[in-house]
Amino acid sequence: MAKKLMKGCEAIAEAAIQAGCRYFFGYPITPQNDIPEYMSLRLPQVGGCFLQAESELAAINMVYGAGGAGARVMTSSSSPGISLKQEGISTCCAAEIPCVVVNMMRGGPGLGNIQASQGDYFQAVKGGGHGDYHMVVYAPSSIQETVDMMQKAFDTADKYRTPVMILADGLIGQMMEPVELKENKDLVLPEKPWAATGYTPGGKKPRSVLNSLYIETEDLDELLERLFARYAVIEANEQMWECYNTEGAEYILCAYGTVARVCKAAIRILGEQGIKVGLVRPITLWPFPTKAVHDAVVQDSVKEALTVEVSSGQMVEDIRLAVNGEKPVQFMGKPGSHIPSAEEIAERILQMRRA
Amino acid sequence: MRDYYVLLGGFGSGKSEMALNLALEKVKTGPCMLVDLDVINPYFRVSEREEMLNRAGIELISPPYSMKKIEIMSLSPRVYAAFAPGEGTVIFDVGGDHVGAAALGQYKPNFSRIPPENLNILFVVNPMRPVAADLQSAWGLMGKVEGVSRLHFTGIVNNGNMAEESDLTHLLAGYDLVKELSDKTGVPVWGTCGQQTLLEEFSAYAKEHGLEEKYIGKRYPVEILMHRSWAKYLKEGL
Repeated sequence: MAKKLMKGCEAIAEAAIQAGCRYFFGYPITPQNDIPEYMSLRLPQVGGCFLQAESELAAINMVYGAGGAGARVMTSSSSPGISLKQEGISTCCAAEIPCVVVNMMRGGPGLGNIQASQGDYFQAVKGGGHGDYHMVVYAPSSIQETVDMMQKAFDTADKYRTPVMILADGLIGQMMEPVELKENKDLVLPEKPWAATGYTPGGKKPRSVLNSLYIETEDLDELLERLFARYAVIEANEQMWECYNTEGAEYILCAYGTVARVCKAAIRILGEQGIKVGLVRPITLWPFPTKAVHDAVVQDSVKEALTVEVSSGQMVEDIRLAVNGEKPVQFMGKPGSHIPSAEEIAERILQMRRA
Repeated sequence: MRDYYVLLGGFGSGKSEMALNLALEKVKTGPCMLVDLDVINPYFRVSEREEMLNRAGIELISPPYSMKKIEIMSLSPRVYAAFAPGEGTVIFDVGGDHVGAAALGQYKPNFSRIPPENLNILFVVNPMRPVAADLQSAWGLMGKVEGVSRLHFTGIVNNGNMAEESDLTHLLAGYDLVKELSDKTGVPVWGTCGQQTLLEEFSAYAKEHGLEEKYIGKRYPVEILMHRSWAKYLKEGL
């Protein structure tokens, strides 16, 4: 399809439809309302169903229902709304329900503000809900990447029977960029023999039960063993990252989402001054590309790494774990919604160089 | 008597960009007031350019919630100041689609007291946006916007663009669309918007291929002030 000028939220919604999503359940919150608004117009046109639920809790449980019946389903929200959905996300993980959850992060904690933020990293990758679980978390840095990721998100959710999160800061949803949507005419959805689609007594298909309650210790053990064996496969196969200008760099910037784009501008500024700086950008935040980050930062040429986030420092912990003390890792970021400028990042690298 | 420009159109058609450029042009010859009447967008709104507008001597009227990081969509009582007697230009930057244009409806009695020769109600069209990419959708949107804003369009603006990737083909696609739209509705084409070099390229093409002047209107060069490239706009804030 030819390129169109699209707003991030619209592009995400359209890409989800192209990926076979036919059900959307959500509750409004800024800055992602354009997703449900778009879905409310488009889903009826493609034979799908949009429903504005009475609350975030209701919405995520409707996702549980539709996902459990084998449909491609998604919900979207922004930080406080995602907090409300955590119980349902944990339940979906336990019941192995494939679904896609979009979080357009805004400032927190609490109701915070409505400007872009990256404060929900911990919530997304360290288990925002209760219990032992993981979900795949994608962090796009442009609208085109988000669009391409939507197909992958639904495929990954089905492949591993797991919820998948798209974790983007509010800017991704609100900015407009030229984008190419790939029409998916030959889309074949995978068979889901486990789905609860109705039971016929005496029929061949056994009764499908999708459950997250395992009272007997042995039963819960068995579920967790199964889940964690699957997580090991995901960790081995699904890591995604981008290395930009890293080879032989003197400093390595670590950032995800839109901040990574500002970092690239900083790298250009420093490059003009003859200072070679690279960027390692995790695209999957879970599974975290530990080895890729390690290899980029622990090169002989690298003096130090600098993690830049729109938070008080969350991903920096995983960066430090990956680097494992082999190089110093500094942090730059402010809580709330302060997006650093390319000049500020460049200046910080110059300071590190002077020190 | 003040001249009024009300910029309406599809979501992302380029109204804010045009509003900023128009304000910076008009303030050179007289007082200028810019009214941010966007009740749709939390980010990327003309109020974010307050500092720049203040420097230029343009009076900005922002909704009380704008950039205050709360979400109660209410309109400032100061909007009524735009209808007080005076000189110069008043520009209304309205939120996208008929949803955003609904905010205008309540000012119908005020607009109806303005002589038609002082009133420019412009429908901004960008065919690269899926919401108004063809005659049917653009025409449909125009009708909906007129309905809720309770205003009648006096002009159509070709603002065919693809942000940083804009080229001549987008203005030509815009030309085709505004031509059809103008023929269909009887609303004249007010002008064609674009960055200076693109407009020159477009004019040369128009001359060579005999595009009709009445579907081009005035050439209105714009500088990109709202949607900057990453490196640039982050320097000046979002």
